[in-house]
Amino acid sequence: MGIQFRKDERFRENFSYVNSDAGVLRFPFPFGEDRYMYSVNIEPHIPGGPTPAFAHAFDIDEHYIAECQERAMVLADDPGRCQVLPHMMPAQWDTLELLMESLAADYPEHFSLDKDGDTWRWINRPLGIDQSFVFGRPETLPCAPFEYITRQAQGDFTLQDQRDDNLFVDGGMVTTQADWSLDFDIGMSFHEWHGPVPLAHETGVFDRALRFLLRLQYGHPVRRLNWTMTINPRLDTSPENYPDWGPDRTTVTPENVAEKVHLRVELQTLFRLPRSNAILFGIRCYLLSLKDIERVEKWRKRLHRVLTTLPPELAEYKGLTRYRDTIIAHLAPHDDGAELSPGIQPDQTVLPPA
Amino acid sequence: MTDQGIKSRPIYATLRRDSSGRRHLYVSAGSGPPPDALAQDGLESWTVAPTTCEGTLPRPEGVGERRFRSTRYLMETLGRRLAGERMGLRLYVEGPEDFLWDVYGVAQAHGLGRQEIFLKQSGTLARRVQCVHCKTFNEGVTTTIVRCAGCGANLFVRDHFSRRLSAFQGVKIDAEQPGDVPQAERAYP
Ligand code: HEM
Repeated sequence: MGIQFRKDERFRENFSYVNSDAGVLRFPFPFGEDRYMYSVNIEPHIPGGPTPAFAHAFDIDEHYIAECQERAMVLADDPGRCQVLPHMMPAQWDTLELLMESLAADYPEHFSLDKDGDTWRWINRPLGIDQSFVFGRPETLPCAPFEYITRQAQGDFTLQDQRDDNLFVDGGMVTTQADWSLDFDIGMSFHEWHGPVPLAHETGVFDRALRFLLRLQYGHPVRRLNWTMTINPRLDTSPENYPDWGPDRTTVTPENVAEKVHLRVELQTLFRLPRSNAILFGIRCYLLSLKDIERVEKWRKRLHRVLTTLPPELAEYKGLTRYRDTIIAHLAPHDDGAELSPGIQPDQTVLPPA
Repeated sequence: MTDQGIKSRPIYATLRRDSSGRRHLYVSAGSGPPPDALAQDGLESWTVAPTTCEGTLPRPEGVGERRFRSTRYLMETLGRRLAGERMGLRLYVEGPEDFLWDVYGVAQAHGLGRQEIFLKQSGTLARRVQCVHCKTFNEGVTTTIVRCAGCGANLFVRDHFSRRLSAFQGVKIDAEQPGDVPQAERAYP
Protein backbone atom coordinates (compact mmCIF):
# COMPACT_ATOMS: atom_id res chain seq x y z
CA MET A 1 0.00 0.00 0.00
CA GLY A 2 1.41 3.36 -0.99
CA ILE A 3 1.40 6.66 0.83
CA GLN A 4 -1.73 8.77 0.35
CA PHE A 5 -0.25 12.07 -0.71
CA ARG A 6 -2.10 15.24 0.22
CA LYS A 7 -2.79 17.61 -2.61
CA ASP A 8 -3.40 21.35 -2.32
CA GLU A 9 -1.33 22.00 0.77
CA ARG A 10 0.10 25.48 1.15
CA PHE A 11 3.06 26.43 3.32
CA ARG A 12 2.73 30.19 2.74
CA GLU A 13 -0.13 32.77 2.50
CA ASN A 14 -3.56 31.05 2.92
CA PHE A 15 -1.86 28.24 4.77
CA SER A 16 -3.37 24.80 4.40
CA TYR A 17 -1.62 22.01 6.25
CA VAL A 18 -3.00 18.96 8.05
CA ASN A 19 -1.43 15.86 9.57
CA SER A 20 -3.33 12.57 9.64
CA ASP A 21 -3.39 10.73 12.98
CA ALA A 22 -0.64 8.47 11.68
CA GLY A 23 1.23 11.59 10.61
CA VAL A 24 1.05 12.96 14.16
CA LEU A 25 2.20 9.70 15.73
CA ARG A 26 5.21 9.35 13.41
CA PHE A 27 6.47 12.87 14.25
CA PRO A 28 10.09 12.82 15.45
CA PHE A 29 9.41 14.60 18.74
CA PRO A 30 12.81 15.97 19.77
CA PHE A 31 12.73 15.79 23.58
CA GLY A 32 13.73 12.54 25.27
CA GLU A 33 14.09 14.26 28.64
CA ASP A 34 12.37 17.07 30.56
CA ARG A 35 15.23 19.50 29.93
CA TYR A 36 16.96 20.49 26.71
CA MET A 37 20.49 21.66 26.09
CA TYR A 38 22.82 21.39 23.10
CA SER A 39 24.87 18.20 22.99
CA VAL A 40 26.58 15.98 20.41
CA ASN A 41 23.36 14.00 20.00
CA ILE A 42 24.55 11.85 17.11
CA GLU A 43 23.48 8.21 16.66
CA PRO A 44 23.80 5.66 13.84
CA HIS A 45 21.21 6.21 11.12
CA ILE A 46 19.97 2.64 10.98
CA PRO A 47 16.45 1.74 9.86
CA GLY A 48 14.02 1.76 12.74
CA GLY A 49 13.67 4.03 15.72
CA PRO A 50 11.12 5.46 18.10
CA THR A 51 8.68 6.45 15.32
CA PRO A 52 8.26 5.39 11.65
CA ALA A 53 9.98 8.62 10.52
CA PHE A 54 13.27 6.82 11.25
CA ALA A 55 12.49 3.76 9.12
CA HIS A 56 14.26 4.79 5.91
CA ALA A 57 17.39 6.57 4.74
CA PHE A 58 15.24 9.42 3.36
CA ASP A 59 11.76 9.67 4.83
CA ILE A 60 8.85 10.34 2.49
CA ASP A 61 5.44 11.17 3.96
CA GLU A 62 1.98 12.43 3.05
CA HIS A 63 3.32 15.97 2.38
CA TYR A 64 5.78 14.86 -0.32
CA ILE A 65 4.09 16.30 -3.39
CA ALA A 66 3.13 19.57 -1.74
CA GLU A 67 6.64 20.09 -0.38
CA CYS A 68 8.19 19.52 -3.81
CA GLN A 69 5.76 22.09 -5.23
CA GLU A 70 6.67 24.56 -2.48
CA ARG A 71 10.37 24.06 -3.25
CA ALA A 72 9.75 24.79 -6.93
CA MET A 73 7.98 28.05 -5.98
CA VAL A 74 10.86 29.16 -3.76
CA LEU A 75 13.41 28.42 -6.49
CA ALA A 76 11.37 30.30 -9.09
CA ASP A 77 11.56 33.41 -6.86
CA ASP A 78 15.14 32.90 -5.71
CA PRO A 79 17.36 30.53 -7.73
CA GLY A 80 20.23 31.27 -5.32
CA ARG A 81 18.67 28.86 -2.82
CA CYS A 82 20.37 26.09 -4.76
CA GLN A 83 24.09 26.59 -5.31
CA VAL A 84 26.99 24.21 -5.64
CA LEU A 85 30.61 25.30 -6.06
CA PRO A 86 32.16 24.03 -9.32
CA HIS A 87 34.60 21.56 -7.74
CA MET A 88 31.71 19.59 -6.21
CA MET A 89 30.49 17.88 -9.39
CA PRO A 90 31.48 14.36 -8.23
CA ALA A 91 29.52 14.97 -5.01
CA GLN A 92 26.51 16.00 -7.09
CA TRP A 93 26.47 12.62 -8.82
CA ASP A 94 27.08 10.81 -5.55
CA THR A 95 23.99 12.55 -4.13
CA LEU A 96 21.84 11.69 -7.12
CA GLU A 97 22.86 8.05 -6.92
CA LEU A 98 22.29 7.77 -3.17
CA LEU A 99 18.86 9.38 -3.31
CA MET A 100 17.65 7.46 -6.34
CA GLU A 101 18.85 4.10 -5.02
CA SER A 102 17.45 4.68 -1.54
CA LEU A 103 14.06 5.92 -2.69
CA ALA A 104 13.66 3.11 -5.24
CA ALA A 105 14.61 0.47 -2.64
CA ASP A 106 12.51 1.90 0.20
CA TYR A 107 9.41 2.97 -1.75
CA PRO A 108 9.22 0.68 -4.81
CA GLU A 109 5.55 1.51 -5.38
CA HIS A 110 6.46 5.18 -5.90
CA PHE A 111 9.98 5.24 -7.37
CA SER A 112 12.01 2.99 -9.62
CA LEU A 113 15.51 3.01 -11.03
CA ASP A 114 16.75 0.84 -13.90
CA LYS A 115 20.41 0.78 -14.84
CA ASP A 116 21.90 -0.41 -18.08
CA GLY A 117 25.55 0.44 -17.67
CA ASP A 118 25.70 4.21 -17.37
CA THR A 119 22.29 4.64 -18.98
CA TRP A 120 19.76 5.02 -16.19
CA ARG A 121 15.99 5.34 -16.20
CA TRP A 122 14.39 7.03 -13.21
CA ILE A 123 10.66 6.92 -12.59
CA ASN A 124 9.03 9.12 -9.95
CA ARG A 125 5.33 8.27 -9.98
CA PRO A 126 4.00 10.83 -7.47
CA LEU A 127 5.53 13.67 -9.51
CA GLY A 128 4.89 12.05 -12.91
CA ILE A 129 8.55 11.92 -13.96
CA ASP A 130 10.09 9.37 -16.32
CA GLN A 131 13.70 10.37 -17.08
CA SER A 132 16.37 8.49 -18.98
CA PHE A 133 19.89 9.89 -18.69
CA VAL A 134 23.55 8.95 -18.72
CA PHE A 135 25.16 8.86 -15.29
CA GLY A 136 28.09 11.29 -15.20
CA ARG A 137 26.81 13.37 -18.13
CA PRO A 138 25.04 16.50 -16.80
CA GLU A 139 23.81 17.54 -20.25
CA THR A 140 21.49 14.49 -20.29
CA LEU A 141 19.47 15.89 -17.35
CA PRO A 142 17.22 18.98 -17.40
CA CYS A 143 19.40 20.64 -14.72
CA ALA A 144 22.53 19.85 -12.67
CA PRO A 145 22.31 16.46 -10.90
CA PHE A 146 22.18 17.77 -7.32
CA GLU A 147 19.40 20.23 -8.11
CA TYR A 148 17.62 17.63 -10.20
CA ILE A 149 17.33 15.06 -7.44
CA THR A 150 16.84 17.40 -4.46
CA ARG A 151 13.90 19.00 -6.24
CA GLN A 152 12.33 15.55 -5.86
CA ALA A 153 13.09 15.09 -2.16
CA GLN A 154 11.62 16.45 1.07
CA GLY A 155 13.85 18.60 3.25
CA ASP A 156 16.97 20.64 2.63
CA PHE A 157 20.37 19.24 1.69
CA THR A 158 23.91 20.56 1.91
CA LEU A 159 27.21 19.22 0.58
CA GLN A 160 30.35 19.38 2.69
CA ASP A 161 33.80 19.06 1.16
CA GLN A 162 36.47 17.64 3.47
CA ARG A 163 39.94 19.22 3.35
CA ASP A 164 42.48 20.78 5.75
CA ASP A 165 40.97 18.70 8.60
CA ASN A 166 37.74 20.61 8.25
CA LEU A 167 34.39 20.56 6.49
CA PHE A 168 33.31 23.29 4.09
CA VAL A 169 29.70 23.82 3.08
CA ASP A 170 30.34 24.01 -0.65
CA GLY A 171 26.82 23.49 -1.90
CA GLY A 172 23.20 23.09 -0.98
CA MET A 173 19.50 23.10 -1.73
CA VAL A 174 18.03 25.23 1.02
CA THR A 175 14.39 26.28 0.72
CA THR A 176 12.84 25.15 4.03
CA GLN A 177 15.40 26.45 6.48
CA ALA A 178 15.23 27.78 10.01
CA ASP A 179 16.63 31.23 9.37
CA TRP A 180 20.07 30.74 7.79
CA SER A 181 21.32 31.72 4.37
CA LEU A 182 23.15 29.31 2.07
CA ASP A 183 23.99 32.22 -0.22
CA PHE A 184 25.85 33.88 2.66
CA ASP A 185 27.33 30.77 4.26
CA ILE A 186 28.48 28.87 1.16
CA GLY A 187 32.21 28.13 1.33
CA MET A 188 32.42 28.50 5.13
CA SER A 189 34.12 26.01 7.45
CA PHE A 190 32.29 24.05 10.17
CA HIS A 191 32.93 26.56 12.98
CA GLU A 192 32.32 29.56 10.75
CA TRP A 193 28.86 28.54 9.56
CA HIS A 194 27.97 27.61 13.16
CA GLY A 195 29.25 31.02 14.27
CA PRO A 196 25.89 32.46 15.36
CA VAL A 197 24.92 29.52 17.62
CA PRO A 198 25.16 30.46 21.34
CA LEU A 199 26.77 28.36 24.14
CA ALA A 200 27.66 25.31 22.01
CA HIS A 201 31.10 26.63 21.01
CA GLU A 202 32.06 27.23 24.63
CA THR A 203 31.01 23.76 25.75
CA GLY A 204 33.05 22.09 23.01
CA VAL A 205 30.01 20.67 21.20
CA PHE A 206 31.22 21.83 17.79
CA ASP A 207 34.83 20.68 18.33
CA ARG A 208 33.63 17.19 19.19
CA ALA A 209 31.00 17.06 16.44
CA LEU A 210 33.56 18.06 13.80
CA ARG A 211 36.10 15.49 15.02
CA PHE A 212 33.41 12.83 14.79
CA LEU A 213 32.29 13.82 11.31
CA LEU A 214 35.80 13.91 9.86
CA ARG A 215 35.91 10.17 10.56
CA LEU A 216 32.45 9.40 9.18
CA GLN A 217 32.59 6.18 7.16
CA TYR A 218 30.92 5.31 3.88
CA GLY A 219 27.99 2.98 4.56
CA HIS A 220 27.59 4.13 8.18
CA PRO A 221 25.39 7.22 8.10
CA VAL A 222 24.46 9.02 11.32
CA ARG A 223 21.55 11.20 12.40
CA ARG A 224 20.51 13.75 14.99
CA LEU A 225 17.47 15.88 15.79
CA ASN A 226 17.36 19.64 15.95
CA TRP A 227 14.32 21.82 16.66
CA THR A 228 12.85 25.30 16.74
CA MET A 229 9.36 26.80 16.49
CA THR A 230 7.57 28.46 13.62
CA ILE A 231 4.42 30.54 13.54
CA ASN A 232 2.02 29.09 10.96
CA PRO A 233 2.99 25.99 8.96
CA ARG A 234 5.54 27.95 6.96
CA LEU A 235 8.42 26.03 5.41
CA ASP A 236 10.40 28.93 3.97
CA THR A 237 11.58 30.78 7.07
CA SER A 238 14.70 32.05 5.33
CA PRO A 239 16.55 35.17 6.43
CA GLU A 240 16.03 36.42 2.87
CA ASN A 241 12.26 36.56 3.49
CA TYR A 242 12.38 37.49 7.19
CA PRO A 243 10.75 40.89 6.56
CA ASP A 244 7.71 38.95 5.30
CA TRP A 245 7.43 36.28 8.00
CA GLY A 246 8.98 38.08 11.00
CA PRO A 247 5.74 39.92 11.91
CA ASP A 248 3.98 36.54 12.39
CA ARG A 249 5.84 36.25 15.70
CA THR A 250 3.78 39.09 17.14
CA THR A 251 0.43 37.52 16.23
CA VAL A 252 0.32 34.77 18.87
CA THR A 253 -2.50 35.14 21.43
CA PRO A 254 -3.92 32.82 24.14
CA GLU A 255 -6.83 32.15 21.77
CA ASN A 256 -4.84 31.16 18.67
CA VAL A 257 -1.65 29.75 20.20
CA ALA A 258 -2.58 26.07 19.66
CA GLU A 259 -3.26 26.59 15.94
CA LYS A 260 -0.52 29.07 15.14
CA VAL A 261 2.52 27.71 16.93
CA HIS A 262 4.28 24.76 15.28
CA LEU A 263 7.11 22.70 16.61
CA ARG A 264 9.63 22.45 13.79
CA VAL A 265 11.88 19.43 13.94
CA GLU A 266 14.80 18.66 11.69
CA LEU A 267 15.76 15.03 11.30
CA GLN A 268 19.34 15.56 10.22
CA THR A 269 21.23 12.78 8.46
CA LEU A 270 24.89 12.63 7.44
CA PHE A 271 26.21 10.33 4.71
CA ARG A 272 29.80 9.90 3.56
CA LEU A 273 29.73 9.88 -0.25
CA PRO A 274 31.77 7.23 -2.08
CA ARG A 275 33.55 8.95 -4.98
CA SER A 276 33.92 12.54 -3.79
CA ASN A 277 34.56 11.73 -0.10
CA ALA A 278 32.20 14.63 0.60
CA ILE A 279 29.45 14.48 3.24
CA LEU A 280 25.80 14.84 2.33
CA PHE A 281 23.78 16.51 5.10
CA GLY A 282 20.02 15.98 4.91
CA ILE A 283 17.82 18.35 6.90
CA ARG A 284 14.36 16.81 6.83
CA CYS A 285 11.86 19.27 8.30
CA TYR A 286 8.67 18.26 10.15
CA LEU A 287 6.01 20.67 11.35
CA LEU A 288 3.44 19.80 14.00
CA SER A 289 0.95 22.25 15.49
CA LEU A 290 0.73 22.70 19.24
CA LYS A 291 -2.85 21.50 18.94
CA ASP A 292 -1.70 18.15 17.54
CA ILE A 293 1.15 17.85 20.03
CA GLU A 294 -1.39 18.20 22.83
CA ARG A 295 -3.16 15.07 21.65
CA VAL A 296 -0.15 13.07 22.83
CA GLU A 297 -0.15 13.17 26.60
CA LYS A 298 3.57 12.58 27.04
CA TRP A 299 4.56 15.14 24.44
CA ARG A 300 2.39 17.97 25.78
CA LYS A 301 3.70 17.53 29.33
CA ARG A 302 7.28 17.23 28.21
CA LEU A 303 7.11 20.23 25.90
CA HIS A 304 5.79 22.26 28.83
CA ARG A 305 8.74 21.23 31.00
CA VAL A 306 11.34 21.85 28.30
CA LEU A 307 10.02 25.33 27.53
CA THR A 308 9.85 26.25 31.21
CA THR A 309 13.51 25.36 31.77
CA LEU A 310 14.97 26.35 28.38
CA PRO A 311 18.12 28.50 28.76
CA PRO A 312 17.27 32.09 27.76
CA GLU A 313 20.13 32.20 25.22
CA LEU A 314 18.52 29.31 23.34
CA ALA A 315 15.04 30.85 23.49
CA GLU A 316 16.44 34.10 22.11
CA TYR A 317 18.48 32.40 19.37
CA LYS A 318 15.49 30.33 18.26
CA GLY A 319 13.26 33.42 18.19
CA LEU A 320 10.78 32.18 20.83
CA THR A 321 11.02 35.11 23.21
CA ARG A 322 7.87 36.94 22.14
CA TYR A 323 5.53 33.97 22.56
CA ARG A 324 7.18 31.41 24.84
CA ASP A 325 5.17 32.52 27.90
CA THR A 326 1.91 32.24 25.96
CA ILE A 327 2.69 28.61 25.12
CA ILE A 328 3.71 27.81 28.69
CA ALA A 329 0.50 29.35 30.07
CA HIS A 330 -1.50 27.29 27.60
CA LEU A 331 0.22 24.00 28.47
CA ALA A 332 0.62 24.44 32.24
CA PRO A 333 -2.92 23.35 33.27
CA HIS A 334 -2.40 20.06 31.44
CA ASP A 335 0.85 19.05 33.10
CA ASP A 336 0.33 17.24 36.42
CA GLY A 337 4.07 16.80 36.94
CA ALA A 338 3.84 13.00 36.73
CA GLU A 339 7.02 11.20 35.74
CA LEU A 340 7.36 10.56 31.98
CA SER A 341 9.10 7.69 30.25
CA PRO A 342 12.54 8.48 28.86
CA GLY A 343 12.84 8.73 25.07
CA ILE A 344 10.75 10.40 22.42
CA GLN A 345 8.24 7.66 21.49
CA PRO A 346 4.62 8.77 21.98
CA ASP A 347 3.61 5.89 24.33
CA GLN A 348 0.12 5.71 22.77
CA THR A 349 -1.22 4.30 19.51
CA VAL A 350 -4.53 6.12 19.32
CA LEU A 351 -5.18 9.83 19.45
CA PRO A 352 -8.18 11.63 20.96
CA PRO A 353 -10.24 13.52 18.35
CA ALA A 354 -8.62 16.76 17.18
CA MET B 1 27.90 45.49 21.22
CA THR B 2 31.39 45.10 19.72
CA ASP B 3 31.57 41.37 20.53
CA GLN B 4 28.31 39.62 19.72
CA GLY B 5 29.94 36.27 20.44
CA ILE B 6 29.71 35.09 16.83
CA LYS B 7 32.61 32.84 15.94
CA SER B 8 32.76 33.36 12.19
CA ARG B 9 34.66 36.62 12.72
CA PRO B 10 38.30 36.27 11.78
CA ILE B 11 41.11 36.95 14.26
CA TYR B 12 44.33 38.40 12.86
CA ALA B 13 47.96 38.01 13.92
CA THR B 14 50.79 40.41 13.20
CA LEU B 15 52.71 39.88 9.97
CA ARG B 16 55.95 37.90 10.12
CA ARG B 17 58.15 36.79 7.28
CA ASP B 18 57.59 33.14 6.35
CA SER B 19 61.06 31.80 5.64
CA SER B 20 59.72 28.83 3.68
CA GLY B 21 58.78 31.24 0.87
CA ARG B 22 61.05 32.06 -2.05
CA ARG B 23 59.43 35.35 -3.07
CA HIS B 24 57.60 37.76 -0.78
CA LEU B 25 54.96 40.25 -1.81
CA TYR B 26 53.41 42.77 0.57
CA VAL B 27 50.22 44.50 -0.55
CA SER B 28 48.60 47.24 1.47
CA ALA B 29 45.50 49.36 1.10
CA GLY B 30 47.46 52.19 2.73
CA SER B 31 50.50 54.16 1.63
CA GLY B 32 52.85 53.43 4.54
CA PRO B 33 55.95 51.24 4.45
CA PRO B 34 55.80 47.51 5.24
CA PRO B 35 56.31 46.48 8.88
CA ASP B 36 59.94 45.95 9.93
CA ALA B 37 59.38 42.23 10.47
CA LEU B 38 58.84 41.87 6.75
CA ALA B 39 61.19 44.49 5.37
CA GLN B 40 64.24 42.50 4.39
CA ASP B 41 65.96 41.98 1.09
CA GLY B 42 63.79 40.92 -1.75
CA LEU B 43 60.48 42.11 -0.39
CA GLU B 44 58.19 43.60 -2.98
CA SER B 45 55.86 46.20 -1.61
CA TRP B 46 52.65 47.38 -3.27
CA THR B 47 50.80 50.31 -1.73
CA VAL B 48 48.02 52.70 -2.62
CA ALA B 49 48.47 56.45 -2.90
CA PRO B 50 46.29 58.46 -0.49
CA THR B 51 43.31 60.23 -2.04
CA THR B 52 45.01 63.57 -1.34
CA CYS B 53 47.19 62.73 -4.39
CA GLU B 54 44.09 63.20 -6.54
CA GLY B 55 45.21 60.79 -9.21
CA THR B 56 48.87 61.80 -9.36
CA LEU B 57 51.28 58.94 -8.79
CA PRO B 58 54.26 59.86 -6.55
CA ARG B 59 57.35 57.85 -7.50
CA PRO B 60 58.18 55.11 -5.00
CA GLU B 61 61.55 55.37 -3.30
CA GLY B 62 63.02 51.90 -2.93
CA VAL B 63 63.62 48.88 -5.09
CA GLY B 64 60.64 46.55 -5.41
CA GLU B 65 58.17 49.27 -4.41
CA ARG B 66 55.10 49.97 -6.43
CA ARG B 67 52.31 52.52 -5.99
CA PHE B 68 48.74 52.38 -7.26
CA ARG B 69 46.15 55.07 -7.74
CA SER B 70 43.44 52.96 -6.03
CA THR B 71 42.88 49.63 -4.30
CA ARG B 72 40.85 48.61 -7.29
CA TYR B 73 43.79 49.17 -9.60
CA LEU B 74 46.03 47.25 -7.23
CA MET B 75 43.62 44.33 -7.14
CA GLU B 76 43.39 44.05 -10.91
CA THR B 77 47.14 44.18 -11.32
CA LEU B 78 47.51 41.57 -8.60
CA GLY B 79 45.23 39.20 -10.48
CA ARG B 80 47.38 39.45 -13.60
CA ARG B 81 50.55 39.11 -11.58
CA LEU B 82 49.38 35.98 -9.74
CA ALA B 83 48.24 34.36 -12.98
CA GLY B 84 51.93 34.20 -13.95
CA GLU B 85 53.31 33.09 -10.54
CA ARG B 86 54.93 29.78 -9.68
CA MET B 87 55.16 27.97 -6.33
CA GLY B 88 57.00 29.72 -3.52
CA LEU B 89 55.27 33.10 -3.36
CA ARG B 90 54.18 34.38 0.04
CA LEU B 91 51.56 37.09 0.11
CA TYR B 92 51.28 39.53 3.03
CA VAL B 93 48.17 41.68 3.08
CA GLU B 94 47.41 44.69 5.24
CA GLY B 95 44.35 46.91 5.29
CA PRO B 96 40.67 47.06 6.23
CA GLU B 97 38.85 43.77 6.54
CA ASP B 98 37.01 43.92 3.20
CA PHE B 99 40.30 44.62 1.40
CA LEU B 100 41.98 41.67 3.14
CA TRP B 101 39.39 39.16 2.05
CA ASP B 102 39.04 40.61 -1.45
CA VAL B 103 42.77 40.05 -1.91
CA TYR B 104 42.47 36.63 -0.32
CA GLY B 105 39.76 35.73 -2.84
CA VAL B 106 41.88 36.87 -5.78
CA ALA B 107 44.86 34.91 -4.44
CA GLN B 108 42.83 31.75 -3.90
CA ALA B 109 41.36 32.00 -7.36
CA HIS B 110 44.94 31.93 -8.65
CA GLY B 111 45.87 28.84 -6.68
CA LEU B 112 47.52 30.24 -3.54
CA GLY B 113 46.83 28.11 -0.49
CA ARG B 114 45.72 29.13 2.97
CA GLN B 115 49.26 28.74 4.32
CA GLU B 116 50.73 31.08 1.71
CA ILE B 117 48.65 34.15 2.57
CA PHE B 118 48.97 36.25 5.73
CA LEU B 119 46.44 38.90 6.71
CA LYS B 120 46.64 41.84 9.07
CA GLN B 121 43.79 44.23 9.70
CA SER B 122 44.66 47.92 9.88
CA GLY B 123 43.11 51.27 9.08
CA THR B 124 39.39 51.85 9.31
CA LEU B 125 37.16 49.32 11.08
CA ALA B 126 34.31 50.27 8.75
CA ARG B 127 32.47 47.25 7.43
CA ARG B 128 31.11 46.04 4.16
CA VAL B 129 27.62 44.83 4.97
CA GLN B 130 25.56 42.61 2.72
CA CYS B 131 21.82 42.92 3.08
CA VAL B 132 20.61 39.33 3.49
CA HIS B 133 17.22 40.31 2.07
CA CYS B 134 18.14 42.10 -1.17
CA LYS B 135 21.86 41.12 -1.46
CA THR B 136 23.05 44.73 -1.86
CA PHE B 137 26.52 45.51 -0.50
CA ASN B 138 26.66 48.56 1.75
CA GLU B 139 30.25 49.83 1.92
CA GLY B 140 32.03 51.64 4.73
CA VAL B 141 29.46 51.06 7.47
CA THR B 142 30.56 52.51 10.82
CA THR B 143 27.33 52.12 12.80
CA THR B 144 25.46 49.26 14.47
CA ILE B 145 22.43 49.87 12.26
CA VAL B 146 22.47 51.02 8.65
CA ARG B 147 19.76 51.80 6.13
CA CYS B 148 20.22 49.47 3.15
CA ALA B 149 21.01 51.37 -0.02
CA GLY B 150 19.27 48.64 -2.01
CA CYS B 151 15.91 47.98 -0.33
CA GLY B 152 15.68 50.64 2.38
CA ALA B 153 15.44 48.21 5.30
CA ASN B 154 17.16 49.26 8.52
CA LEU B 155 19.79 46.57 8.95
CA PHE B 156 21.39 45.38 12.15
CA VAL B 157 25.05 44.64 11.42
CA ARG B 158 25.64 41.10 12.69
CA ASP B 159 29.13 39.83 13.45
CA HIS B 160 28.51 36.91 11.09
CA PHE B 161 31.25 37.31 8.49
CA SER B 162 31.68 35.73 5.06
CA ARG B 163 35.27 35.55 3.84
CA ARG B 164 33.99 34.74 0.34
CA LEU B 165 31.99 37.97 0.19
CA SER B 166 34.39 39.94 2.45
CA ALA B 167 31.23 41.12 4.15
CA PHE B 168 29.23 41.10 7.35
CA GLN B 169 25.57 40.18 7.33
CA GLY B 170 22.84 42.82 7.65
CA VAL B 171 19.40 41.75 8.91
CA LYS B 172 16.31 43.96 9.11
CA ILE B 173 16.21 45.01 12.75
CA ASP B 174 12.50 45.78 12.92
CA ALA B 175 11.28 42.85 10.80
CA GLU B 176 9.05 41.58 13.61
CA GLN B 177 7.79 44.97 14.74
CA PRO B 178 8.09 47.30 11.74
CA GLY B 179 9.09 50.83 12.75
CA ASP B 180 10.70 49.75 16.01
CA VAL B 181 14.23 50.88 15.10
CA PRO B 182 16.61 51.73 17.95
CA GLN B 183 19.16 54.54 17.67
CA ALA B 184 22.21 53.52 15.64
CA GLU B 185 25.50 53.70 17.53
CA ARG B 186 28.90 54.43 16.07
CA ALA B 187 30.78 51.19 16.61
CA TYR B 188 33.21 50.63 13.72
CA PRO B 189 35.21 53.85 13.25
C1 HEM C 1 27.90 18.97 8.59
C2 HEM C 1 26.73 19.46 8.34
C3 HEM C 1 26.09 20.56 9.12
C4 HEM C 1 25.64 21.72 8.58
C5 HEM C 1 25.72 22.15 7.12
C6 HEM C 1 25.08 22.50 9.66
C7 HEM C 1 24.54 23.76 9.50
C8 HEM C 1 24.00 24.53 10.50
C9 HEM C 1 23.49 25.85 10.33
C10 HEM C 1 23.52 26.63 9.01
C11 HEM C 1 23.02 26.27 11.51
C12 HEM C 1 22.38 27.65 11.79
C13 HEM C 1 23.45 28.64 12.17
C14 HEM C 1 22.93 30.09 12.11
O1 HEM C 1 22.21 30.53 13.02
O2 HEM C 1 23.24 30.79 11.13
C15 HEM C 1 23.21 25.21 12.46
C16 HEM C 1 22.83 25.23 13.78
C17 HEM C 1 23.19 24.26 14.68
N1 HEM C 1 23.96 23.13 14.44
FE1 HEM C 1 24.61 22.48 12.66
N2 HEM C 1 25.20 21.81 10.83
C18 HEM C 1 25.81 20.62 10.55
C19 HEM C 1 26.10 19.63 11.46
C20 HEM C 1 25.88 19.72 12.81
C21 HEM C 1 26.24 18.70 13.75
C22 HEM C 1 26.88 17.35 13.43
C23 HEM C 1 25.88 19.15 14.97
C24 HEM C 1 26.09 18.37 16.25
C25 HEM C 1 26.25 18.84 17.42
C26 HEM C 1 25.30 20.48 14.80
C27 HEM C 1 24.79 21.28 15.80
C28 HEM C 1 24.09 22.46 15.61
C29 HEM C 1 23.39 23.16 16.67
C30 HEM C 1 23.31 22.76 18.13
C31 HEM C 1 22.82 24.30 16.08
C32 HEM C 1 21.89 25.32 16.75
C33 HEM C 1 20.50 24.91 16.38
C34 HEM C 1 19.34 25.62 17.05
O3 HEM C 1 19.37 25.94 18.24
O4 HEM C 1 18.32 25.81 16.38
N3 HEM C 1 25.32 20.79 13.47
N4 HEM C 1 23.83 24.14 11.81
